[in-house]
Amino acid sequence: MDKYKTRMGDGSICYQTAQEIREDIESGVAYAAKKAKIEPLTKEEQDRIFEIITAPGYITSVDVEKLVVSTTDCGAAPFCREGAIPVKRSVEALIHERAFCSDSYDLGFTEYTYKAIKPIVRYEAQEMRNAQQQNVMPILYGAMPNMGFYTQPDGMFENWSELIPAGEIDRARAAQEGAMENCIKDILAVADEMAAAGADGINLDTCGASGDTDFLASLRATEEISQKYPNMGIMFGAAGEFVLGMHGKLTYDGKRIAGMWPHQQGEVVQKAGAAIYGPAMNTNCNESFAWNISRVTTWVKKTTETIDIPVHVNCGMGVGGICMTEMLPVDVVCRADMCLIEIGKIDGL
Amino acid sequence: MDEKEVYSLAIEAILEADADKANKALDSAKTAGIPFINVLNNGFSKGMEEFGEMFSSGEVFLPQLIVSAKVMSGAAARIEEDILASGGKIQKKGKAVIATVAGDVHDIGKGIVCTMLRAAGIEVYDLGRDVQVDAIIAKSEEVEADIIGTSTLLTHCMAEQLKLEDELKKRGIRDKYRTVVGGAPVTRKWANKIGADYYGNDGNDGVKVCNEILNKKYG
Repeated sequence: MDKYKTRMGDGSICYQTAQEIREDIESGVAYAAKKAKIEPLTKEEQDRIFEIITAPGYITSVDVEKLVVSTTDCGAAPFCREGAIPVKRSVEALIHERAFCSDSYDLGFTEYTYKAIKPIVRYEAQEMRNAQQQNVMPILYGAMPNMGFYTQPDGMFENWSELIPAGEIDRARAAQEGAMENCIKDILAVADEMAAAGADGINLDTCGASGDTDFLASLRATEEISQKYPNMGIMFGAAGEFVLGMHGKLTYDGKRIAGMWPHQQGEVVQKAGAAIYGPAMNTNCNESFAWNISRVTTWVKKTTETIDIPVHVNCGMGVGGICMTEMLPVDVVCRADMCLIEIGKIDGL
Repeated sequence: MDEKEVYSLAIEAILEADADKANKALDSAKTAGIPFINVLNNGFSKGMEEFGEMFSSGEVFLPQLIVSAKVMSGAAARIEEDILASGGKIQKKGKAVIATVAGDVHDIGKGIVCTMLRAAGIEVYDLGRDVQVDAIIAKSEEVEADIIGTSTLLTHCMAEQLKLEDELKKRGIRDKYRTVVGGAPVTRKWANKIGADYYGNDGNDGVKVCNEILNKKYG
């Protein structure tokens, strides 16, 4: 029986029969639909995913008229940060614009956390000014809310991850609520400086990494920034397909935040005033690419149907159906993108 | 309050994490002459099962789970006290040694499993995180465990679960235990590949699996 060369979620090459791939597609779709209580992809859509996965050739592409724009998060610094090539970030932005033809660039600091950036924000703002003066494409400033940074000994609040297992639920909730207020202040302090430096947008990245309080902090910061600086777009990137309930009781717009799936996250992100929503859906290393991308596409399709603001899916190492490898396999990346554009109807990557 | 109402109240006590309701259910049972063990099996345990399902499907969350488990533990302690006072004996369902494997410091998921197993009446030895295979085996031998459960959140630490299987075989004690593997990157396929006996998808699934193991062993 003929087998197709594809990959597992960890990037390793595997060979699957047509039937095995179809079974994995069906299983991934069913998983996503059951978990988020949404409709599964249609038979035709599942057939299209199969065609894309098994398409001959190493690289696949959507038709030209279906091409989408791309935004980035701090991973956009492959030279100065990851490659240790001594170029300033403002120069790196130029390389992205003029050599890579990037649509936008996300200027970020190595210590990618609003709290850590606050003390050096003037230095960061100067870098933003330099980049803005040289580039034509939109340049955003990005970092993570990272509420875990507010717990002792790094911060002033008790560690809720220790308090919850010990049954100290009220103390854990109080600690999270205190940390949230400080986190919002730090995000706003950086946003003020970036707005003054002419940033085209601000990227709140990996929102909800510390659970529902982290997600709410990001929503409230988004609300304030969008009202104060209506011309500075906000890109809101999520941390995962499911908001963890570390607090469990928090709501936004009357909706409980814990347990929100991508389409529900998108609704509150839109309500808060974000310009772009970036859902993040993690890759399971032990499942095939077919399973992973089918699961992700099911969630994404529902998200783009639910909200009106542009949806730019996080597609990279370990998210968006892409393998959990540092050097992303091109065969998987272009196929994942195709599925998300054609079936998920995304606006960007 | 009749038998059915007592059981319903016990279930409600767990779902609402209400210790007062749990005590009221037991008081009512005493007045009506309903054995406490029946309230445990038909009320509190049923409530915990239902709560576990809700946790798995993302309807309730970690803080609620911990509070409900505390209510369950409180009720179980009172029931045990009552059994001992009337000259009865406490029989735990079985013993489980649980650990997050070496190289991995993630604790919360494993902690949830331990909490839920204890609430289900299983004697749990929680070895914590970053635990070497030798230590896991030593404790299992010492307490004569029925189950060894290991968890990891890191792909590169999954090899420790394989190491445990190999080491148990090498020492000729593999058949003494039923091994259960879990953790975010761990799958049923991985369990089959390394020769683990069972895979637990989450805390609730872990309880089901351990109950299945112990029911098979002790009936």
